[in-house]
Amino acid sequence: MIMGSQKPIDEIWAMVKDFNRVLVFGCNTCVAVCHAGGEKEAETIASLVRMRAQQEGRTMEVKHLGVMRHCEPEYFEPVMDEVKKYDLILSTACGVGVNFLSDRTGTIPVFPGINTSFFGSVEAPGFFKELCAGCGNCIVHLTGGLCPIARCSKTLMNGPCGGTNKGKCEVSNEIDCIWYLIVERMKKLGTLEKLSEIQPPRNWATSRDGGPRRISLEHLREYEEKEEKAQATGGKKQ
Amino acid sequence: MTPQNKGTTTEPYRPYGADIKETRPYSPCRAACPAHTDVQAYVGLIAQGKYTEAFEVITAPNPIASVCSMICHHPCEQACRRCGIDEPLSVRHLKRFAIEKSQEYRRAKRRLVQKTRGKSVGIIGSGPSGLTAARDLADFGYSVTIYERHPVLGGMLASAIPPYRLPRNMLKEDIDDVISRGIEVKTGCEIGRDVKLEDLAKKHDAVLIAIGLSQSRSIPIPGVEGPGVLLAIPFLEDVAFDRKPSLGKKVLVIGGGNVAMDVARTARRLGVKDVSMVCLESAEEMPAWKWEVDEAVEEGIAINHRWGPKAVRREGEKVLGLEVKKVKSVFDASGRFNPAYDESNTTLLEADTIIITIGQMSNISFMKDSAVKVDERGRVQWNPETQMSSAPGIFLSGEVVTGPGSAIAAVANGHRAALAMHLHCQGETIEGRLPAAQEKEKIEQMPAEVVEKVARESRVKIKHLAPEVRCDTMVHFEIGYDETEALKEAGRCRGCGGGAVVNPNKCMACLTCQRICPYGAPVVTSVSEIRPEYCQACGLCAPECPGQAISMVSYDVREFRDRMPSLIGAVDPGRKEPHIAAFICTHHVGVFGFKVPSNVHAIPVHCTSRIDVLDILKAVECGADGVAIVRCGEGTCKYRGIMHRVSARAKRVQELMSALGMGPERIEVLSATGGDSASYEAVCAAFSARVKEMGLRKASIR
Repeated sequence: MIMGSQKPIDEIWAMVKDFNRVLVFGCNTCVAVCHAGGEKEAETIASLVRMRAQQEGRTMEVKHLGVMRHCEPEYFEPVMDEVKKYDLILSTACGVGVNFLSDRTGTIPVFPGINTSFFGSVEAPGFFKELCAGCGNCIVHLTGGLCPIARCSKTLMNGPCGGTNKGKCEVSNEIDCIWYLIVERMKKLGTLEKLSEIQPPRNWATSRDGGPRRISLEHLREYEEKEEKAQATGGKKQ
Repeated sequence: MTPQNKGTTTEPYRPYGADIKETRPYSPCRAACPAHTDVQAYVGLIAQGKYTEAFEVITAPNPIASVCSMICHHPCEQACRRCGIDEPLSVRHLKRFAIEKSQEYRRAKRRLVQKTRGKSVGIIGSGPSGLTAARDLADFGYSVTIYERHPVLGGMLASAIPPYRLPRNMLKEDIDDVISRGIEVKTGCEIGRDVKLEDLAKKHDAVLIAIGLSQSRSIPIPGVEGPGVLLAIPFLEDVAFDRKPSLGKKVLVIGGGNVAMDVARTARRLGVKDVSMVCLESAEEMPAWKWEVDEAVEEGIAINHRWGPKAVRREGEKVLGLEVKKVKSVFDASGRFNPAYDESNTTLLEADTIIITIGQMSNISFMKDSAVKVDERGRVQWNPETQMSSAPGIFLSGEVVTGPGSAIAAVANGHRAALAMHLHCQGETIEGRLPAAQEKEKIEQMPAEVVEKVARESRVKIKHLAPEVRCDTMVHFEIGYDETEALKEAGRCRGCGGGAVVNPNKCMACLTCQRICPYGAPVVTSVSEIRPEYCQACGLCAPECPGQAISMVSYDVREFRDRMPSLIGAVDPGRKEPHIAAFICTHHVGVFGFKVPSNVHAIPVHCTSRIDVLDILKAVECGADGVAIVRCGEGTCKYRGIMHRVSARAKRVQELMSALGMGPERIEVLSATGGDSASYEAVCAAFSARVKEMGLRKASIR
């Protein structure tokens, strides 16, 4: 799931202070699960902005709203008329949602209310952890199902490095050394010997190379109705 | 606070969540009440100090609520899910408390109802069923006339229930509520003697026979005829209408039901020191309510179990006693009432007066030669589907057709009959339109793992006049709750059916509710489902739901936020003392049982579990210099796991306050340990002093 955390109120204020009608717009999927940007947190941020406006002597209308997902048009289309009544949309969706909305709000700016942080798990209630880097070329079958790209501070493919320290990373005692965990895991799986194969340098072409990434599933994509007509008439060539 | 509709509109008061409750299983208390009174709603309103609103909920389905608050056999209490924890909620006494608190209110709201239908109905009998039908039909807009053979309204309530159980002023309040709608009353009017049934049928568009069971049955045994042997109902009527019945020094009551208890206990109050009873049944088999038996025994009434009457022994006309024979069994193999006796085992129970209380029947003599058919066994013919007799337009309700039962069951049947009469008068079909008699779907018993987690709290006992005092008087023997007691007792309610519900369109199945619920109520699959048999209505989950998908059935989770400006009042720019908002748990001190300094604006909450980060922020937004969340004290909470969550919420607000450059110390969680009024006052005053030290906020300056 996409994890995020709220921006500090000072940063938000700097973004919104020159606008008169602000909508804090929450997304009720990933960022709601991590309690950063769902409808509830949108309301919280709206309250903070109103209080800051009061402190600064600014008269400002600040409201909040939430929909299930900001990254699919059907979810927010029913509220777009309402959304467009504002001068500024402070989206508490992840960066995907902010972008997606910006493409569709004409002259109304959409600013981010949260920092999109990582792809992570709900490790325990209220505790979220990065587990995947979305690099586009998954290799965890080689590493006992644990990802060194996301979870090693150096993204090493042949670890551990000399900084491993009793199972912890030299960067911080609070970070597990993923290579230590990979070794332990592969011992359990009986595949430890595979680690003696040296991995060649990674091909990063699938990551940030070649511009924004896309995935297209032909069987789910929209199609022109004329194609269907052609089939209905026995597929005669026109 | 009074309901908003007071005096301005006829729109009935509806408690929060009334509509959604209709779509969900009823709380067991409500399901058990024949009239389906929303007990959970009114107990909750009492706990919030909203007594007149509670009165509205109580009286909506029940026109004889004052009466029921005195005499109801309270099936709601027997069904209460607290029975499985410690003791049931004291529902009847809470009802009485709310009604007593609403006396002025109920009198002020009495209004004539417009007779918009242009049709009239006649009601024969003014007991629970007749009064109910009269009220409903008046509210439907009919012109209603009640015919009552006694000089006062109320049927058996007025003529047979002894005043020590039902003070007549309580009955009068109920009757005045009903007849103030503009109902015509003809008392002292006996059908068949003063007016014929067929004349009534001609006069009215529909007639209801709600005559109850007003005649006592006798026993065909030797010696029963003659002085010294009385029948229950005439005896009770004599007492009710102050015609002193003549009793000897040693009274024996035959019967083991509730009327027998009334008779025996009444005889005791007429100055007879030696009152005893004889019944077929063992102590366990007796049909009388156990509490009635216990109270009778307290009053010195002896009960002879498992003896059946054989003959009244007399010397001349004087009664010597009742010869009785041993009962071998009361019920036969198939469980039917079919007593078997050992004729050889007999004894004499000495008495100079015998009162027979073995059952009642209706006086249906006026139906003879009328269009209302009566079968060969003397039962009135009726169609339970339509409540109609064999004569079109003549309806029946209450015990005359249902047989002996409770007052509240007669109320329920009266509603049904009124609806049938309304449909008849409107020329509509009745079949299939009346509420089904079957039991409502109700919330299951509390699972054992939840019972273990619920704090034990004993029921607030009601005080009775001491037996030696109450036996000398017809004064009502129960002393009702005072406000502190009532609030404490109302706080014991587990809020069955008033708990959390999920809006599936907003739930993203994030598991937060499932993770934080101390009782294991939510189960998340594709969306969260909060199981009502587990939910304790604490409200801990709703403020944590990131999608605001959880609402509570019995209260508005946004109530404080939306009403905050009025709750904490306007902030005076020239104030000397800080403007403090204090969310105060009312569980242990009651809603108005605490005093706080005048600059502290108390927002009573049933538990601080319900306070959201957003509620605290809203109080700050509305200008509060400080916000206190005042808990009821350490280890006293009626719910589990509250302290940790509430403190975490307060800490989050403190962090947000810091980010805004406001002192985080302006937010505090306080514990009013001690649970008395003084401890609330003390913690609030100390907090106020600390905030004053920090300085007062100015709107434009941090």
